[in-house]
Amino acid sequence: MKRETDYGYAIKTVYTPQDIPGFDYQRDLGDPGSYPYTRGYHPQGYRSRMWTRRMTAGLGSSRAANQVLKEYREMGQRGGMCVISDRVFSSPIDPDHPLGRKEAGVLGWPGSSLLEFEELMDGIPLTGQSITLLGSSAPSAIRLAYLVVLARKRGANLDEIHGSVIESPFENYFGQTDVQPFDLNLKLFLDAAEYILRNKMHIRAAIISQHFQESGGNNAQALALEMAMLKELCGLLVHERGLDFDEVAALPYELVSIGTRFFEEIAKMRALRRMWARLAKETFGAKRDKSCQLLIAVHTSGRTMTYQQPLNNVVRCAIETLAGAIGGCTALDNATLDNAHAEPSSLAARMSLNTQHIVAEETGVTDVVDPLAGSYFVEHLTNKVEEEAYRIWGRIEEWGGMIAAIRKGSIQELLREEVQNRHREVESGERLIVGVNSLAIPAEDEFEIPLQDVQADESEAIARRMEEWKKTRDLALIRDRLTRLYEDARKRDGCNLMPPIIEAVEAYATAGEIMGVVRQARGLSYDPFHMIECPFPLG
Amino acid sequence: MNAAKPIKIIVSMIGLDGHTTGGEVVARILRDAGMEVIYLGVNQTPEMIARAAVQEDVDAIGISSHAANYSQITELMDLLARAGLRDVLVVCGGTIPRRRVEELKEKGVAEVFLPRSTSESIVRYILANVRAPRTPPR
Repeated sequence: MKRETDYGYAIKTVYTPQDIPGFDYQRDLGDPGSYPYTRGYHPQGYRSRMWTRRMTAGLGSSRAANQVLKEYREMGQRGGMCVISDRVFSSPIDPDHPLGRKEAGVLGWPGSSLLEFEELMDGIPLTGQSITLLGSSAPSAIRLAYLVVLARKRGANLDEIHGSVIESPFENYFGQTDVQPFDLNLKLFLDAAEYILRNKMHIRAAIISQHFQESGGNNAQALALEMAMLKELCGLLVHERGLDFDEVAALPYELVSIGTRFFEEIAKMRALRRMWARLAKETFGAKRDKSCQLLIAVHTSGRTMTYQQPLNNVVRCAIETLAGAIGGCTALDNATLDNAHAEPSSLAARMSLNTQHIVAEETGVTDVVDPLAGSYFVEHLTNKVEEEAYRIWGRIEEWGGMIAAIRKGSIQELLREEVQNRHREVESGERLIVGVNSLAIPAEDEFEIPLQDVQADESEAIARRMEEWKKTRDLALIRDRLTRLYEDARKRDGCNLMPPIIEAVEAYATAGEIMGVVRQARGLSYDPFHMIECPFPLG
Repeated sequence: MNAAKPIKIIVSMIGLDGHTTGGEVVARILRDAGMEVIYLGVNQTPEMIARAAVQEDVDAIGISSHAANYSQITELMDLLARAGLRDVLVVCGGTIPRRRVEELKEKGVAEVFLPRSTSESIVRYILANVRAPRTPPR
């Protein structure tokens, strides 16, 4: 068995003061609530603010997802809700698109119109909990518009709404893709980010390493990429959009993927807080303490959830949740025992939320802040992963930064190599996975877990509903609003598209229509798949 | 057909599935085993995959799937049958629930490789079941 961190650092038998030479408590850690925030942002830790316990929802119709959100509430989901989009809305196209109708509602919420968002949020307040909408980068501006318009319609105060609905364009290259070109995703991301900041909304942007790590990247790489993405996107908002860094710093959040390498995962989170604090202060000249505090949410890793012997995943989930809690997080959502088979069943969701409740209420982990600080091993690992991450980040800078490195394919190659390494390690038995390459059992002895999925006729029903509903809209109004969007989009990067997108959403133009019109204005085909034409005459 | 030619196989995602990790790993495994891999990547419709199979005269098709309703794999099987390509070996791999495995096999999918299938088992299966005549790769 390999005794190395996942980024290949050989672990010794025992760690002593010699392994943290020159350790300086104030400089390297600081008290909880003090720079460089290695120990966290709150002097009272979870005693003053408990982490948000949530589960990702989204499968089948919007009404079905709404029911699931209400069930999660019953299961003790507290502080926030989290919904993931289906691939159709992630693209984004509409469910009645020839490709959309084949998989609407598979793997997520089919949110391609404001109507779907209204159904998703039926009976659920927009305030009093964080609203997180995940999916992909491309529909970021549309998700933000849903929030703005629904708040308007309900008379809710935008100031009181918090959560995260926009996502950086980088995640698109980490093994889970949408179909839009990078430049377009970047443009829309920056527009949405600028809109949030100029309107002083309390909405965050996912600038996250989670996809990268779930696709096979290691801890040090994930940390390096996270820092490189943060630096570049914050830099663009400061230098190109003319925003103050102390405003921009309130935008990003990181979703850390936590696997079963318990101590390494905790070290990674501690290193991340320190690295961001230094970037904020030393590179961007942050003036406010708050700007040096990167919001960190945890996702316990779906990649570690095995297909074989799925009940073992309950145990993995518990270990990862404990690591996330000790590491110090603002919110946590779990992969579930059925993760390698399907979207969470009710049983699996309850098990995952209960795992969080058990860790929170029964272990005592919430009593003390950063309980592993001062451990020779954990401090050494924190320094080590940071050192390795700085080294990789340095390479990314040599490639010209994240955008240049993505364009060159360097990041994709980094990931590809690491995935192959991981595959080899498991195949050779250097890394053991219980129930997979160790203590495997015959398929017929497997315990059968309940599974839920979406059948082809359900996707078709979502498609047909949209097809019929589209005809009932005020088509003249939609045409006006889309024409304005088209004209603004033709001004290319000089014009923020959030206002016309909000107007179009309000008139019930769909995600496919909005994105299609923006594409067309930029000289692309209306339909990324070249199967349908724009139904409205423009310009 | 030249008997010394390597096995030619398509590796592809299907529909809007953007999860590429599994497909890329398997493509490398098959290449390392001496097969000629045509990696189609993402956003491939059943029509596009069937067309590529005809144009490239492939021996086998591997579809990587991460959560689906599987209707598009069924469609692909119908298209291949209609194009007279019943002898093209179709295998799938990914996070596919066991009861779906049975359904796919009823539709003519030869084998489904579940997560963490070994490289050897995938290569061995394709060598043993692909249409003849082909020599073993190097």
